[in-house]
Amino acid sequence: MQLKKTMVWDLPTRLFHWVLVLAFALAWATYKDSRHLGLHTIAGYTFFGLLMFRLVWGVVGSHYARFREFSYAPKEVLAYLRSLLGSGIKHYIGHNPAGAWAIFVLITFGLLLSVSGVIVLGGEEQQGLLAGKISFDQSALFRTLHELIAWTMVGLVAVHVTGIIVESLLHRENLIGSMFRGTKWVSGESANVTSHRLVASVLTVSFLTWSAVSLNGYISATEAQPYQPFKGPVLAMNELWNEECGACHLAFHPNLLPARSWQRLFEQQADHFQEDLMLDEATFNELTNYALMNSAEEKKTEAAWKIDRTVKKSETPLQITALVYWKDKHSDIADETWQREKIQSKTNCGACHYDAELSTFQDSAMRIPK
Amino acid sequence: MKKFFLMMTTVVCGLIINLSANAGSVESLQSDYQVQGAGPFSAAAGETMWQKEYLDEKSGKQRSCQTCHGKDLTRSGKHARTGKVIEPLARSVNSERLTEVKFMKKWLKRNCKWTVGRECSAQEKGDFLEYLKGQ
Repeated sequence: MQLKKTMVWDLPTRLFHWVLVLAFALAWATYKDSRHLGLHTIAGYTFFGLLMFRLVWGVVGSHYARFREFSYAPKEVLAYLRSLLGSGIKHYIGHNPAGAWAIFVLITFGLLLSVSGVIVLGGEEQQGLLAGKISFDQSALFRTLHELIAWTMVGLVAVHVTGIIVESLLHRENLIGSMFRGTKWVSGESANVTSHRLVASVLTVSFLTWSAVSLNGYISATEAQPYQPFKGPVLAMNELWNEECGACHLAFHPNLLPARSWQRLFEQQADHFQEDLMLDEATFNELTNYALMNSAEEKKTEAAWKIDRTVKKSETPLQITALVYWKDKHSDIADETWQREKIQSKTNCGACHYDAELSTFQDSAMRIPK
Repeated sequence: MKKFFLMMTTVVCGLIINLSANAGSVESLQSDYQVQGAGPFSAAAGETMWQKEYLDEKSGKQRSCQTCHGKDLTRSGKHARTGKVIEPLARSVNSERLTEVKFMKKWLKRNCKWTVGRECSAQEKGDFLEYLKGQ
């Protein structure tokens, strides 16, 4: 039988595929370290945008890219899978039934992953499209979902890649290469597919523009002026507080401890970590009032929310560094690191957190100095 | 022209009043101490006490003014516990020093308590200020 080199995957479909792979890989590489949340978010939006494009392209794209072309009934999938074990495997030019289902499931989970990501960003970080529309508490469930979906995606990718390799071996054709070149060796009749260079160009230009815009902050950042992709909420500040507390240490914002802790600290003002604060009555009242009105219970920031939910109700911690949440967040910092010239003390929050004075403690606003 | 002179006179007078108020604040605090029966003040006595070490019984450590302010008053010091930078005390390099009575009173009170273990007498505080004025 005569084999003919035939275009199967148009250029936009191939671009979609590989940039999606890159976006997913970037999101995966940046999810653990919260310092990289900015990049993770950019990867996520890219991923989401690509999927949206694919939904449209699945309707108006070229023959083999159309959803209609690879919508197989479950029984066809089973028949195909059964045929893999025997002889007489049916050869499909586009997606085979099992692969097609993998694509639909991947796209569905990809969309769920994107949507849950935007919800977590809006709730846990109060950033992005849904900032202010979702509470910290509501976001907790979506955080779990986002993680579960992501792991499922990894599993699905593994199935997808395994399927590709198995089929490549069985049919003695390089399917991975086809996703780069767009062509397959086809015998007999096949649909006419063009490259769709115009759509591919628009897609490429959009992608490059978006990359330049979203990554600009990272590229133009310097050591002295690091990029801070997210700004936290503006918290209530008190001049007297900043002056009194800030004389000896960072004026830790009241949102970093529960109200009962502040109450206790002010009651013990004559022995404040071996110092007598000697606050006069007016100062004492103003500071206490400010602390109690703006404590962790107000949940104005992610840190405050997490401090509030992790402090045992039976405990009254008097130091921020004694908080379970604080310890957990700083557990991977070596003793040697704390000794560094630019850090020196665990109370020197500003050494690593650029927004320490604003007390917003954004995930991405920190770097450990050398 | 008349207007201009009037304006300049106002500005110059304002400056003089402002400067003398600043220069005077440490003296006015000292004269308060004199009213309380202290004086005359000695920079040498202030310096001796400034450098003297006092044992803190709770921590077992020696404390002096230099613990936090450092040996060289023209350079910044460091809070003993938190490590926070304390701006230089010498007014030859830090013009904000010794300009605000309320501020001086507060820290003379608190820091004597931490360092010496008790509040300082009017005489001692006046001596400290006399010493610091020359820095």
